[in-house]
Amino acid sequence: MWDRFVFELTQATQEIIRDVAQLLPRLMVMLLIVLIGWLVAYIVKSILRSILKFARFERLSENAGASQFLRRTELPSSTELIARVVFWIAWIGFILLGISVLGIVGLQQHVSNFFGYLPRFFAALFVLFFGMLAASFFSRAALLGAVNADLPSPRLISSTVRTLIVVLTISMAFEELGLAERTVIVAFAIVFGSLMLGLALAFGLGGRDLARQFLERRFARYKTTEEREDELSPL
Amino acid sequence: MPEETILTDDFLRELMNVGEVDILIGVPTFNDAKTVPQVVQAIRGGLLKYFPRQRAVIINADGGSKDSTQDLVRAASISDAAQATHIQALRTLHSISTRYEGGPAHGRALYTILAGADLLHPAACAIIAPDSVNIQPEWIDRLLGPVVRDSFDFVSPMYRRHKYDGLLVRNLIYPMNRALYGKKIREPYPTEFAFSTRFGSYFFGQDIWSEDVGSKGTELFFTISALSGGFRVAQTFLGDKDRIDHAPADLIPAMRETVGTLFWSLDRNFPAWTADKPPEAVPTLGPQPQVSQDTLRVNRKRLYDMFVHGVAELEPVLGSILTPATLEQLKATAALPEPRFRYPDDVWTRSVYEFAASYHKAVISRDHIIQALAPLYRGKTYTFLAENRDAGAEEVEQNVENLCLEFEREKPYLLELWDGKK
Amino acid sequence: MTTGAGVLTSPSSSLISVQDALWYKDAIIYQVHVKAFCDSSGDGMGDFRGLGQKLGYLQELGVNAVWLMPFFPSPLRDDGYDIADYRSVHPTYGTLDDFKSFLQTAHERGIRVIIEMVLNHTSDQHPWFQESRSSRTNPKRDWYVWSDTDTRYRGTRIIFLDTELSNWSWDPVSKQYYWHRFFSHQPDLNYDNPDVREMMWENMRFWLEMGVDGFRLDAVPYLLEREGTNCENLPETHAIIKDYRARLDREFPGRMILAEANQWPADLRPYLSPDEFHMAFHFPLMPRMFMGLKLEDRKPITEIMQQTPSIPDACQWCLFLRNHDELTLEMVTDMERDYMYDEYARDRGMRLNLGIRRRLAPLLDNDRRKIELMNGMLMSLPGTPIIYYGDEIGMGDNVNLGDRNGVRTPMQWDGGWNGGFSPADPESLYSPLMLNPVYGYQSVNVKSQERFDHSLLSWMKGIIKVRKSTPVFGRGSIEFLYPANHRVLAYMRQYGKETILAVNNLSSSAQAVELDLKRHKGNILIEMSGRNIFPRIGDLPYLLTLGPYQFFWFRLRKI
Repeated sequence: MWDRFVFELTQATQEIIRDVAQLLPRLMVMLLIVLIGWLVAYIVKSILRSILKFARFERLSENAGASQFLRRTELPSSTELIARVVFWIAWIGFILLGISVLGIVGLQQHVSNFFGYLPRFFAALFVLFFGMLAASFFSRAALLGAVNADLPSPRLISSTVRTLIVVLTISMAFEELGLAERTVIVAFAIVFGSLMLGLALAFGLGGRDLARQFLERRFARYKTTEEREDELSPL
Repeated sequence: MPEETILTDDFLRELMNVGEVDILIGVPTFNDAKTVPQVVQAIRGGLLKYFPRQRAVIINADGGSKDSTQDLVRAASISDAAQATHIQALRTLHSISTRYEGGPAHGRALYTILAGADLLHPAACAIIAPDSVNIQPEWIDRLLGPVVRDSFDFVSPMYRRHKYDGLLVRNLIYPMNRALYGKKIREPYPTEFAFSTRFGSYFFGQDIWSEDVGSKGTELFFTISALSGGFRVAQTFLGDKDRIDHAPADLIPAMRETVGTLFWSLDRNFPAWTADKPPEAVPTLGPQPQVSQDTLRVNRKRLYDMFVHGVAELEPVLGSILTPATLEQLKATAALPEPRFRYPDDVWTRSVYEFAASYHKAVISRDHIIQALAPLYRGKTYTFLAENRDAGAEEVEQNVENLCLEFEREKPYLLELWDGKK
Repeated sequence: MTTGAGVLTSPSSSLISVQDALWYKDAIIYQVHVKAFCDSSGDGMGDFRGLGQKLGYLQELGVNAVWLMPFFPSPLRDDGYDIADYRSVHPTYGTLDDFKSFLQTAHERGIRVIIEMVLNHTSDQHPWFQESRSSRTNPKRDWYVWSDTDTRYRGTRIIFLDTELSNWSWDPVSKQYYWHRFFSHQPDLNYDNPDVREMMWENMRFWLEMGVDGFRLDAVPYLLEREGTNCENLPETHAIIKDYRARLDREFPGRMILAEANQWPADLRPYLSPDEFHMAFHFPLMPRMFMGLKLEDRKPITEIMQQTPSIPDACQWCLFLRNHDELTLEMVTDMERDYMYDEYARDRGMRLNLGIRRRLAPLLDNDRRKIELMNGMLMSLPGTPIIYYGDEIGMGDNVNLGDRNGVRTPMQWDGGWNGGFSPADPESLYSPLMLNPVYGYQSVNVKSQERFDHSLLSWMKGIIKVRKSTPVFGRGSIEFLYPANHRVLAYMRQYGKETILAVNNLSSSAQAVELDLKRHKGNILIEMSGRNIFPRIGDLPYLLTLGPYQFFWFRLRKI
């Protein structure tokens, strides 16, 4: 019986050694890939950072209001942030590639899922970023417009516009990510719809006169008998 | 912009029939049937009286009038085919009209007229506004004379205006333009002016026609180009500048056309306005510009209110544009109660320069920068009105002069802002 | 037998037939001064024999009528317009027989002869005036207009502004003022006197019987004076003309009278009628042709033509570019006159009275193209053209000779002795020859130009031939086209079934012009010199391109 045990042990050990021997090269390859991946990711990050700096991405980000946001949350600047994110994604991608080389079956599926998910992730980031940009731009435009048209509570108008666009953007991002799509859509619809309804009621009922004045002032130049506030012409 | 789309076949045929001319008068129009007959008559009278032997043409660039503007201009022709002209004229005078695309836009009209001038190569050209109801035939001589006789490249007009008229020009465009380019052009955004073919061709060849400045605010850029391009510039006194019927331009579009163009051109003409030149007098013909004093209804309180509210509400925006120091001063000014309110010249000058620098760096959308300037301008207007309420012509002139000197004094500050930190 | 052009082809003894009463409509008139044309006698002045020798040249040129400037006995203080004897020939030009012989030769060659008849005034050397002034009771006293004061007919304009200060001159002999619209040595005859009227008719009849084909009646508007008028174009003057015309038609049908009346077309119109003059000079058109050329704008020309009234079918305008007088600027506005002076006569010496005393070639800067264009218009506008002697070879002028003598220098026949004009000593010529390298007789003369097809003379022969090839030019109607390109003068001439289109580029640069010829759609254009075909007229405006100063004559044909 001792012989059998020794035999089995020897065989098992030999098998293990064989398996390990089979695995080892793949492991070496994987490590190599990981190493190369790190290198590549680093290079990509550097290049990307240079490109973004050259394209003055920072300024765009300032305009979007993203920079302020990041600063407030103690995150690094947007250029740096993007560069780092890209670095990590690239490296993780290579790592996963390396892992797939190991030939562990279940993992491969997850790897491909990961890569499949990536575009949507980027799309969502994209939507978010430009949504923020739009929100910043349009809210500022609304603010300026309201101030120059002498409307009451311009800040309120401005914030409303910003909020609406941000909410819309977030909804779109979530939809893109595929997270709780329907819920988000419905929630957004409700919020947006009720806001609009509220505004309509406010304007329609409470703000009738205000609306009328606003409209009249906007379209004053088409009325020839309208009395103007004053007769100054800047040119 | 390809020329083919500007010169329709019909217009080209008409230009062919006109042939080479010595003088070209351009009239940009849009629904001006009420005033254009009288303007065109004055132009014609001026040509017959002062340039009877010269070959001349009147070219009307129309932006899509729905009334009979174009026909009224064409009716001014003097030719043997038109029966019953009781006018004594040595020569045929062509008066042709064409419609341009993308109208109504003064820049597009100017482009069309310059295209015509490029083909007919006159010695001198002038642009006349179709609603200048105070125009006299003498204006033709006053505008074209310096170009024809004394080889000036650009002749800018001067008027007798109401002291409250054209405040944007008086408080911003004129002083800043003068400080930057060193020439005292009173009406840098003219509706009538004259120029030589040399300058006209140069301007026509610029690559600005597909930009905003190619449609609106072009005349201001025209003036700036003359100043920065080393051309011979003169000014001439014309007469009264009428104030009627112009829908007083909404402030924001007006500012876009003028301030926007001015700021935009700073990038382009950097070498010209940074050159260290002392201010030069511009040869001026005729009397100095005058100021009339008729009573005018102004709503000053509204200006004050809009300034104060503007500064308050736009603080985050202004924060991106102005330096903290200036913003503080501005807020302090806004805090003054109305009776004591005054927007001092130096603060205004610095504000404007900081806006210019921010525009150059495009810290936020450039159009938003222009819009953000509007409340500040209103405040300055209030101050101007208050200071000059009982002022006579000379005092008004002196106040404007003081503002100009302030702009000149602060010019180094602008240069500092331009390159340095915000 | 006659052709429509009034020139016969059968070689009979006289090529002139009286049957063609409208010969003057087809005429091409050559204005010549006997004194300046050809001297056969060697006395330094041209004469009739010499002129007769040159008739062959004129026949070859193509002209079919000759207008002789006054050749009557005269003190020659106004180049023969101051006549001292109406029925004779000045001895330096020859004898009456010489004239008759010349007349006959001319007729044999198919050339009609038009002479001057100065009705309005005589020389103060004329026996009539000598008698009239001798005493206040002389029978011929009333033959002239006498007055005790010089204030009568106040306001009448002075015509020779450069020399005369008044229309009245004091006669020391009979101690009264006498009236003269021209030089003071040319007293006006008094046409209120029936004897004067009869005598002048007899003078005309004298020449008509000899065979002369027509008269140019000088200074017609001024025959009579009436207080309170401008003494021009008075109804009584017209009555006298009517009387003469009636007699002419009765006794000498087929002869012609031509009015010299420098008036606006509207004032001229009454003279042109079947019972007054056959022809009249269209004075206002001529300076405007020059103006149009300088301005490079057809407007002056079309406007004067618009103001020209239509005339009876039997009447005809006489057109000319230059003549023995100054290029008159009486009938233009002050602005136009200033322009013409500045452009054509910068040197004040060229200005005379109210005109410019230069020949055609110098006026046009000796530019061959301009000379051709102006002659082309002369030949195609409605009227009978007159060529001034020497202009067919492009002779120059001498402004340093006084009065209007600068344009009356000797004809230049060849490059030899006296330019072929006279065998006499050069110093004895009536006028110095042109000597400068550009216009002198060695450069500009008939002989050298006859040798080359490209000379101006050859060109003139060609254009005259084309003109004579159709009656449309002389007899047709005119309709101006008004193309948008104002530098191009275009008009249609029509007579019967024939239509001709003339297009003239008045500018010094090439032009494109679109003509509205819709009415003549379907016609082919045939250029009349080379007879080449041009495109047919379609629906679109007809596009033509013309070189500087170029002109086209097209015949329209529908095939």
